[in-house]
Formats: sequence, structure tokens, C-alpha cells
Amino acid sequence: MKLSINKSRSLWWTISCAVILAGIISMVISWQNPNIRAPLRPSLDFIGGTRLQFERDCSQPKNCEQPIDINVVREVAKEQGLGDSSIQIVADQETRKENGILIRTKNLNRDQRTQLQNALSAKVGTFDQQKNQIDTVGPTLGRELFTSGIIALVVSFAGIIVYLAFRFQLDYAVFAIIALFHDVLITVGIFSILGLVLGTEVDSLFIVALLTITGFSVNDTVVIYDRIRETLKTNPNRPIAEIVDDAVNQTLSRSINTTLTTLLTLFAIFLFGGETLKNFALALIIGFIAGAYSSIFIASTLLALWRERTGKPNLGTNSEAFDASADS
Amino acid sequence: MQRQQSLLALILVLVIAAIAVIATIPIPLGLDLRGGSQLTIQVKPAPGMKEITERELEGVQKVVEGRINGLGVSEPVIQTVGADKILVQLPGVNDPEQAERVLGGTAQLEFRKQKPGTETQLFAFQSSRAELKAKQQELRNSTDKAAINKNQEELQKNNQAILELFESTDPPLNGKYLQDAYGEPTQQGNNWNVAIRFEQKGGELFADLTKNLAGTGRSIGIFLDNELISAPVVGPEFAATGITGGAAVITGRFTPQQANDLGVQLRGGALPVPVEIAEIRTVGATLGKDSIISSIYAGSGGLLLVLIFMILYYRLPGLIANIALIIYAILTWACFALLGVTLTLPGIAGFILSIGMAVDANVLIFERTREELQAGKSLYRSVESGFYRAFSSILDGNVTTVIACAALFWLGAGLVKGFALTLALGVAVSMFTAITCSRTFMFLAISIPALRKPEYYCPNLSASGASNKTEVAQ
Repeated sequence: MKLSINKSRSLWWTISCAVILAGIISMVISWQNPNIRAPLRPSLDFIGGTRLQFERDCSQPKNCEQPIDINVVREVAKEQGLGDSSIQIVADQETRKENGILIRTKNLNRDQRTQLQNALSAKVGTFDQQKNQIDTVGPTLGRELFTSGIIALVVSFAGIIVYLAFRFQLDYAVFAIIALFHDVLITVGIFSILGLVLGTEVDSLFIVALLTITGFSVNDTVVIYDRIRETLKTNPNRPIAEIVDDAVNQTLSRSINTTLTTLLTLFAIFLFGGETLKNFALALIIGFIAGAYSSIFIASTLLALWRERTGKPNLGTNSEAFDASADS
Repeated sequence: MQRQQSLLALILVLVIAAIAVIATIPIPLGLDLRGGSQLTIQVKPAPGMKEITERELEGVQKVVEGRINGLGVSEPVIQTVGADKILVQLPGVNDPEQAERVLGGTAQLEFRKQKPGTETQLFAFQSSRAELKAKQQELRNSTDKAAINKNQEELQKNNQAILELFESTDPPLNGKYLQDAYGEPTQQGNNWNVAIRFEQKGGELFADLTKNLAGTGRSIGIFLDNELISAPVVGPEFAATGITGGAAVITGRFTPQQANDLGVQLRGGALPVPVEIAEIRTVGATLGKDSIISSIYAGSGGLLLVLIFMILYYRLPGLIANIALIIYAILTWACFALLGVTLTLPGIAGFILSIGMAVDANVLIFERTREELQAGKSLYRSVESGFYRAFSSILDGNVTTVIACAALFWLGAGLVKGFALTLALGVAVSMFTAITCSRTFMFLAISIPALRKPEYYCPNLSASGASNKTEVAQ
């Protein structure tokens, strides 16, 4: 099996561009949508919503014999179209037993609340009307965490560029970051589409997934770069496209194995894991596949094209003689 | 051989130590995995106030956040509820009474004047206070309860001592008289100040206070909840009339963030809004225990598949890699326990990613070893150069990850921080296990004659992998 990835460069780029473009279009549509007003459908972590607290009336006989099963509560919420809610079992004040339910969900009107309460009552037991609490809540993820996270990401990109420029060359570093953006954009785009089609919301865990994807993406790209650099050192006069093809092929089984082993665990969590982690696992699966794809088909081919165009001397390591031409 | 034996001994000692650490120090779980206690804080309008506005609620939330950080709780959930309540969820049911004590007081701002002749004392207390504060920051992530409490006590004592160096004006110039406070950049634009505005009566009191202190070198003590937040000195040019006009500036080389925070805090403190704890109760995990447990099963199943895959694909080296991976997991877990990491789902995500990278390091090494074998080198040379040539890939990949983690850890907050910390730790440990453990075991395997068969390291040497070379190495 030998891939000549540079032969059909434009095909790989077209595939990526198509997916990214679809995602961007979806984000625009989503932004225009009066119900969403954001590129992705934000969960209550970002915008707040309604908080409902119900407690069972334990003065009634047989009402509190069975402990509340959180799965039953989650099922009911799902039936009402509130599958993305944050649901916690809480202890009540007097008995210290877990007889209460705390649900944080999107904004509900009176009818929806009553409906939810009745549906829950039927499954769990009669609620004490005196102890019901209904409030609007603010976001748990403030703007602050978000902005600080973005700043942190930008700084880390800068750090990565500096390091890779020092270890490889500046153009390598730039394409590694482009590949990283590619992976993040694809993940965000697909989740935007899912938000429009299935109503999938992004929460704080999605942010964590994106961070994980950035870490994986760079790591993956660097391995192939390392091989390109090494091959360049030994054969400085071969055409760059051949060198890149060889490097990709030599690292191909490693790329496949690493991605496969990581995806094994993620697919297990996605298929058999808990409800609350499904989207998290899905985001990681999409991001890792995009990451493996971009390091093989995007970062390396861009580098080959760039070097062919600029006619840079094929020197894989930083050397002063060529630094002057590298920046021109 | 000598070197390998000592390395083996080192690995063994480390693993035993790690297991001992894991057995003795439990890792605290975060709110999303374990639940904790929940407090609802009711904010009440002060006498003479009609209702709580969003701005006041924000002020109170800021104060509450500051106090929770003072408690040393990691990754709490704080959100506003309705128009006049704040919901706080604290991971782990750690003494709700203490939380109640700390969160139940009002945020009271007061300007006091320093007593004559206490300048040196104040200086000494302030420097020891800075040390205690720094230590508090350090202790925030540790589980050493005794040390945290001791530090808190010292801070309390220090506060008390500073408090005694100041006296209230008559009537006390407190938040009641404050109209507004906000951060603003200085003229030179490199630092930020906090501007405060008093209403009329407060302006008069402030003028008196500053007239008294001008040029004496004694400072105005600005106290929030009886804790000194700033001690500015009034210049001698104000000795005649004091600072009039009801406006003042607190300088203190603030960052924009600090200045804004202080502004918010002062605004919050400027309203002596009574707050009270409406209720305390225990809550379950936000992610749901059942969900976590099924995910753990699923994840473990996935990991088991990875281990099986490694053996099937890489044969003996795969087995060695698995042993190294298990050692890796034990060592990393022990590091978490030692550093007092509070484990939340983002933290686990970082851990899983680092496992992936640890697998990756081994895969890189073995792929290289295979290539060398196919190129017709001897077994020993192949293993040797497999490690040697894969090293730069592993190093570069991991260094970039650590760079990203460092930025996320220093600049990020909350869950971003937790993720960065576990990932960085994991990467550091994986460098050690991939390079040292796998390597030592590999050479140990090669030194056993029964295991010295190339086909244990690379199946059907002639027709596999990416290389087109077909000579068999022996």
C-alpha cells in the first residue's frame, strides 16, 4: 500500500474545504436563527435558563419508599424534549434523604413547567407543592472564563509556533497551526450542523473537547514533520513532493494505529457510556479523525506546495545560510 | 546489564511507592463526579432600598466568589438565581457550617484612619500578610487541611492586628456613603486606578479624614469586611482643606482586571446589602453517578481493547508497551494524589489524552524498530536505533503539548486549568515511561536468548509494513 498524497492534493483540500464551508454556512444560519443567535446552540452553561426544584411530599404514605432513580428523571426530561438539562438529585432539608430533584434547563413557560412536573410526579411520587422552587438562573460559565480561555489558547498557539519555528522552520510551524484550525473548525462546524438538525447544544465539556483536540492535532502533525525533516536531511536534492509522500507513507501505520487506539476508547464511551458524556465523546471522535486527516493530507501537502512555489532550498533544518531567503 | 538492573530496581521502587501513595492519599472528586453541598444565598435590599438590581447582584456574586476562593475550594459552581439569589455548589461536603459563616456576612466597606505612630508596625504586618496570601494561593490546590486551616488562622490574626492600628472616623465612613467605584487607566496609561465617588455627606466626611491625615505619612485604611484591601497615603498638599469634591482615587499599580474587580467589590461592599443563607443541602453529581459509572466501564473496555490490539499487532514489544502503560497509569495517578488534584471530567479528559500520547510514543518506537529490522539490521541494533530515532518525534510532540498546557494553566480558569494540569503531568510521566520503562524491558527481553527471535518483534518480516525491502534479517 503506497499513497501518493501529493498527486491528488486538490482533492484532499476540496474535501476539507467542503466540510468547513458547510460548517460555516451552518454557523451563519444558526446566528440568524432567532432562537439560537449564536454560531453554535449554546447550553445553559453559557446563557442560563430555568431552575426547577421539586421535593417529594413524605407525609403521604408510601410516597418516599423508593429512592429517586435519576435515570427515570432523565427519561422523563428527554420525553419532554429537555434531554440536555443538568439534573441532580438533592437531599431534602428535614430528613437528609435524597427526596428532591434539581433540574437546570432552558427557559420554560408555565405550561411546559406544569407538564414536566406532572410527568415527573407520575413516575417518582407526589411532590410537596409548598417546597417547589422555580427560578431563572444565570450562566455558570461566565464571559470571564471564556475570554481567559481564548487568550490562553492564542498564547499557546504563539508558543507552539515559536517552538516549531525553532526546531523546524517557520513555514512548518504556520502549517501546523493551519492544520490545528482546520481540525477545530471541522469539529465546531459539524456541531453547528448538529445543533441545527438535532438541537445538539454545546456546553463546558465541548470547550474541554476542543482543547483536547488542539493538543492531539499538533502532536500528530509534528510526528510527520519530524519524518519529513529527517528524509530531507539525508536526501536534500529529491523533489519535495516525493519526500513528503515517503514521510507520510513511512508514518502511516503509526498514524492509523494511534488514531485507532484512541478512537477505540472514545467509541466505547460514545456507544455504551453515560448520556451526559455522549456529546463530549462525539466531539473528540470528530476532532481526532479530522486531526489524523489533516496531518496526513493537509499539513504535509500544503508544505510541499509551499516549498515548490517558493522554490526554497530543500533544507529541513534551520541553517543560517538559508534563513535570509526563508523570510523573503 | 548493570545499568539495566539498576533501572529495573528504580522502576520497581517507583511503582511500589506510587501504589503506597494511591492507597494512602485519596483523590478528591469534583462536583461533576461526586456532588457536594449547595447553598442558596438570599440577597436582601438594605433598609431604604426598593429592590436589588442586576448590578448589586453582580457585586454580591463577586464577593461570594472571592470568599469561596478564600475557602480554597476548587471549581465551585456559582450562578445567580432569579433576581435576588445566588446559588453556590461546593464540591465535596466540606463543613457547610464554615461556608455559611464565611458567606453569611455582609460585604462592608469602611475607610478608617491610621493611629499615630504605627507606621513601622503596619509595614511589618503588611509584608507578612503578603507572604500569607501567597501561601494561601499555593495551598489552594492542596488537600492538606491542617495547613490550610493554620494559614487561615494566621491570616485572621494578621487581619486583627492590622485592624487594631486603625480607628474609625466619627461617624464611620462606610459603604453607606459611597455612590460609585470603577476601574480606570492612569494618565500614563500603564497602570490602573480605582476611582471612587462619595455622595455629599460622604464627601464631607472624606474631606475631614484626608485633612487629618495629609502629610503625616499615616494612611487611610480601606477595609472590606474588616480586611485591609488598600492603604493609600494622602499627600501634604491636601493639609488645608482635605480632598474635596467627594471623589478619590485608589492607586496601587493595579492591573485592569484587579481595578475592575476592586470596583465591583467596592460597589458590592458599598451597599451593605444583607445576605443570608436561605438553605444548605447536599446535591448529587452534575453528570450523574450512573452516567459516570457506565462511562468508566465503557472506557475500561476500550482500554482493554487497546491493550489486546497492541499485543496482536506488535507481539512482544506490544506486551512490553502494555506493562509500561500500566506502570504509566499508576505513576500518573500517584502524581495526581501527591499534588492534590481535584479530579473533574476535564481532568480525566486530560488524563485519557495523555494515555493516548503514551501509546503513541510506544507505537512510534516499535514502528521504527520494525523498519530497521526490515532493513536487515540485527535485532539489538534495530531496538537501539528504534528508540534513538523515534526520540525526536516524541520530544517535539510532547514539548508542544506542554507549551500549550503551560499557557492554558497560567491564563485559563476553572475547568481549563484542571485539564491543562492533568495533561501536562501525564505527558511528563509518559516521557519517562516510554523512554525508560519500555526501553529497559525491551533490552531485558533481548538479553534472554529464548526471546531473541526477530519474528517476536515483527511478524512475517518479508512482507509487511511500509518498506519495500524484502531481505530477511538474521
